[in-house]
Amino acid sequence: MDKKTVSTIAYLSRLALNEENGEKITQDLENIIKFVDQLENANTQNIEPLASPLEKTAKTRYDEVTAKNRKETFLERSPKSNDDYFLVPRVVE
Amino acid sequence: MSIQFKTINELSHMLKNKDISNKELIEETFSLIDTNTHLNAFVTLNKDASLHRAAELDKNPSSLALAGIPMAQKDLFCTKDLRTTCGSNMLSSFIPPYSATVIENLENAGCISVGKTNMDEFAMGSSNETSFYGNVQNPWGDKLVPGGSSGGSAAVVAAGIVPAASGTDTGGSIRQPASLCGISGLKPTYGRISRWGMIAFASSLDQAGPMARTAEDCAMLLNEMCSHDHKDTTSLDETTPDFTKDLNLPIKGLKIGLVKEFDLSKLDNEVVKVFEESKKHYESLGAKFIDISLPNISLSVPTYYVVAPAECSSNLSRFDGVKFGKRCDDPKDLEELYIKTRSEGFGDEVKRRILIGSYVLSAGFYDAYYKKAQQVRRLIKNDFDSAFKQVDVIMSPTTRGGAFEEGSKGDDPIQMYLEDLFTIPANLAGLPALSIPNGMVDNKPIGLQLIGNFLEESKLLQVAHNFQISTDWHKKTPNRDTQS
Repeated sequence: MDKKTVSTIAYLSRLALNEENGEKITQDLENIIKFVDQLENANTQNIEPLASPLEKTAKTRYDEVTAKNRKETFLERSPKSNDDYFLVPRVVE
Repeated sequence: MSIQFKTINELSHMLKNKDISNKELIEETFSLIDTNTHLNAFVTLNKDASLHRAAELDKNPSSLALAGIPMAQKDLFCTKDLRTTCGSNMLSSFIPPYSATVIENLENAGCISVGKTNMDEFAMGSSNETSFYGNVQNPWGDKLVPGGSSGGSAAVVAAGIVPAASGTDTGGSIRQPASLCGISGLKPTYGRISRWGMIAFASSLDQAGPMARTAEDCAMLLNEMCSHDHKDTTSLDETTPDFTKDLNLPIKGLKIGLVKEFDLSKLDNEVVKVFEESKKHYESLGAKFIDISLPNISLSVPTYYVVAPAECSSNLSRFDGVKFGKRCDDPKDLEELYIKTRSEGFGDEVKRRILIGSYVLSAGFYDAYYKKAQQVRRLIKNDFDSAFKQVDVIMSPTTRGGAFEEGSKGDDPIQMYLEDLFTIPANLAGLPALSIPNGMVDNKPIGLQLIGNFLEESKLLQVAHNFQISTDWHKKTPNRDTQS
């Protein structure tokens, strides 16, 4: 786990590491990855991965309108909005 | 008459007999909250609405199961119009427009949510030291951690402020703090309780559950918390049994499994002694012990630290500063808005786990880590499946010892991760498990863990209740039972 890998995954995660925590976090990540590397020892040949303990197909439901349109409530509670939209810095110049 | 340290059952009787009014009970609860602010266990209080609800109940008495019972809710559950922070700066001003299904269920059963409890940030931690809102104090001693992540919930029950609290458990977050605070806590089968409105950490592991003074109270709470919810596709479509029905059935002939691979010789002698005494006690109740083998169990913690961060990195990508929660000041463009918001909003432990998750999910490493961990997860589940052909429940200590001091695990996150050694396997396999107090070490409580087969919460609660009607460990309280 070198600095370059860490800065790539930090960018993928949209996180910025600074001088203060960057080194410590890099060291921690290296230790954690070393720790989980013991999984290599398990014999998992022909073992199906288990993604969820239930292994059931998600249940479907009728496509009925069940909730009211609460646009105003949601927009009101957002960090920045106008009457119709969530606002973000201009994307298209 | 003091309400401190009373169980749900006791408070319900007091209300029914009119020894206390609903309003007095809630007023008394808030005065206990006021005298215990040093615990730092609440992030947000719900005083006005609680008093209002109590006054209503005085006017129109209710026969609902939890009518008038004050309850603390972990600050991970969305509560309509009541701030929900998840222990994070990211959500420091988040007011949910809806309540989690489990909160609705509890409130529909009559309970009064008096406040939101402090917790490790986004439930990532085992000591409550990662909360943006500061550490929670364990009522059993100065500078002792309450465990985590449901540390605030455990502390308020242990301090006798409320008889019950909600918690969530992804790798031990109900059972470990229950053990460290000397209370009872249950993580149900994955899917028993709807996850809708629970702020997600690791969706295939997260499960809500009750924390209370007794297994009997946990059973009463579980009765109300469970429901099939079409809003959560992983919610089980099972009828909810009456979990209190079998509590008093004797356990003669019960087969209890002891995991050969859990090497207790590495634990403190006193902890082993407490565990051995509990074994003897169960033998005296007619239970039999059988050695079982879970050959892959030693890989549980590394498996968890691939699966949980992977799911966390995906779940926490929703915190982008656009639709809700925190947004950084003056971003120069959209990308800076994302990066600055997330870097300011998340604490170091959350960042570490997001980074690990992004790493194990990235193209070159997916098979080596994420897929591999999911394969080992199946091996662990298979181990449990075989074990439950031989035994009814599996027993172990909940934790490696009692509550530790703040800062004592040092800077190494892996030391903290190993805190959940005994609790993580049940989450990986989706099995129900609980912790009940079973002794004291250095004047600090420790807990006994019982793991049950899929959907067998009733049996677990019965086994725990049998222990509690014949022992007093769950009756110990920090004020009465600590020296100095």
